[in-house]
Amino acid sequence: MSRANPAPAALYHRVVVWLLFLILLLPLAGTLLYSLSTSWSATILPDGLTLKWYLALWSDERFLNAFGRSLLVCFGALALSVLLILPLLFVVHYHFPRLDGLMNILILLPFAVPPVVSSVGLLQLYGSGPLAMTGTPWILIGCYFTIALPFMYRAITNNLQAINLPDLMDAAHLLGASTWKAAFLVVLPNLRKGLMVSLFLSFSFLFGEFVFANMLVGTRYETLQVYLNNMKNSSGHFNSALVISYFFFVLVFTWAANRLNKDKS
Amino acid sequence: MSYLSIQSLHKSFGDISIFSDINCEIGKGEFVTLLGPSGCGKSTLLRCIAGLTEVGGGQILLDGEDLVPQAPQKRGIGMVFQSYALFPNMTVQQNVAFGLRMQKVAKEESTQRVQEALAMVELGDFAGRYPHQLSGGQCQRVALARSLVTRPRLLLLDEPLSALDARIRKHLREQIRSIQQELGLTTIFVTHDQEEALVMSDRIFLMNAGRIVQSGNAETLYTAPIDAFAAGFIGNYNLLDADAASRLLGRPIGSRVAIRPEAIRIDSQGSIEGKIRSHSLLGNVIRYRIEARGVELLVDVLNRTVTDMHGSGQRIALSIDADAIREVA
Repeated sequence: MSRANPAPAALYHRVVVWLLFLILLLPLAGTLLYSLSTSWSATILPDGLTLKWYLALWSDERFLNAFGRSLLVCFGALALSVLLILPLLFVVHYHFPRLDGLMNILILLPFAVPPVVSSVGLLQLYGSGPLAMTGTPWILIGCYFTIALPFMYRAITNNLQAINLPDLMDAAHLLGASTWKAAFLVVLPNLRKGLMVSLFLSFSFLFGEFVFANMLVGTRYETLQVYLNNMKNSSGHFNSALVISYFFFVLVFTWAANRLNKDKS
Repeated sequence: MSYLSIQSLHKSFGDISIFSDINCEIGKGEFVTLLGPSGCGKSTLLRCIAGLTEVGGGQILLDGEDLVPQAPQKRGIGMVFQSYALFPNMTVQQNVAFGLRMQKVAKEESTQRVQEALAMVELGDFAGRYPHQLSGGQCQRVALARSLVTRPRLLLLDEPLSALDARIRKHLREQIRSIQQELGLTTIFVTHDQEEALVMSDRIFLMNAGRIVQSGNAETLYTAPIDAFAAGFIGNYNLLDADAASRLLGRPIGSRVAIRPEAIRIDSQGSIEGKIRSHSLLGNVIRYRIEARGVELLVDVLNRTVTDMHGSGQRIALSIDADAIREVA
């Protein structure tokens, strides 16, 4: 079937894409402009431009601490995920492939229960007694691990299925490699892509997580999102600088990750 | 004395027996094929020899040494998989050198042996490429080079040609056979393709339902099937029950009969009258479906000239070589 007139279709396609781009970009551009303005209230354009909100933000010790805590909690949760999920996936897919069905149900649980409900449960469980850890970063790291689990499990599972793990392991064994050597030299390098994608996806998600952070630790271990919430009554220019800084950090982080994740070949 | 001896080998998964009481002897330098339909246990048998699947019992002796208690790494066996199993993160050179790296072979020697192995499979110029930059046939040749470079005592080929297209398959099977003969390497090849088995093998072990039902060279298997399964699996035998065979041959027959399609001739002097139901051209052979005395037969005739071809509905006379009528169990 021939396409009679492709020009209107191409135009329509371009209009939709640019419109979508503008819808997404406009609030961000507005926030950026607001964070750079001296004051902007009754005029169409700001009265003047300044970097003072950024200087104020990046010299605020409370912000820097919150930023550092968010990084620590996210990296802690992701490190725990890598340490636990990679060996788990290897064992499930190489030795007990039938368990994959059960794992697929288990990894959905963190999404099946609403964050507010699971927060209450976690507070009940870890609020007192021998496992009391509410208000500490540990509960947040553990909780974030469960959130990262589905992202990581699915991404790495897809990767494992694509590389045909059993045959690669068998080939490596027959060529003289022990299971450890085969896992480190053959399997792990081939999981790099799936692992990195899931790590960055999880990081972006966890870095912006608010509900669990607010309910489980709140101001006792103030993370970036809790800090943002606590600063909601301060200057709008300051908050805009905070949002833009947060956005650019995630953007640069993702860009760098993509660059690092490019194939050598 | 045989080089590889398999004695009373059996394997089950739970209550399901994969194969039982497998006994076979393979000589040094022999090219042996395990042939059989899917699920007959041939690949599991191969994996048991490699040590990738544990056996339920029995012995596998390679050059007098029992392999069963040994780990796959220690058996000195090379294996080529249907899926190639090349390491995607490594170049062709690194893939082929992997086994030597595990054996801690000196770098200079390793480089030289890798070059020789790649030259053997005609892929010397592809050393720097990654597996995803190669075709299926090239991948399988790299896998073959990777197995050969470690100088294995035994080479196992698990349906290595199944994922390739017909032209490449034909070329590669000739290449595999020629390399195997050049190196004098004892090789076990698994396939469900009877043509591959007949063309490549010194000996064929025909397997069905976890048992070796017949073994012998290609000619024996093709011309003297031991039972109805062997006759049905190899070639395109006409398998007739006793009644149909008696009707067709005009004398009482007490058992099933297998007749090769090329052993039935369209012959004006023949005593059996028949009618052509259909015909199909298979290149150098014309395959007729002929009804004779209420029995439907496949008859293969060499395609000499177009004028020789008989049309559907045409009445003809047939003769059958008496030697080619085989009574089977």
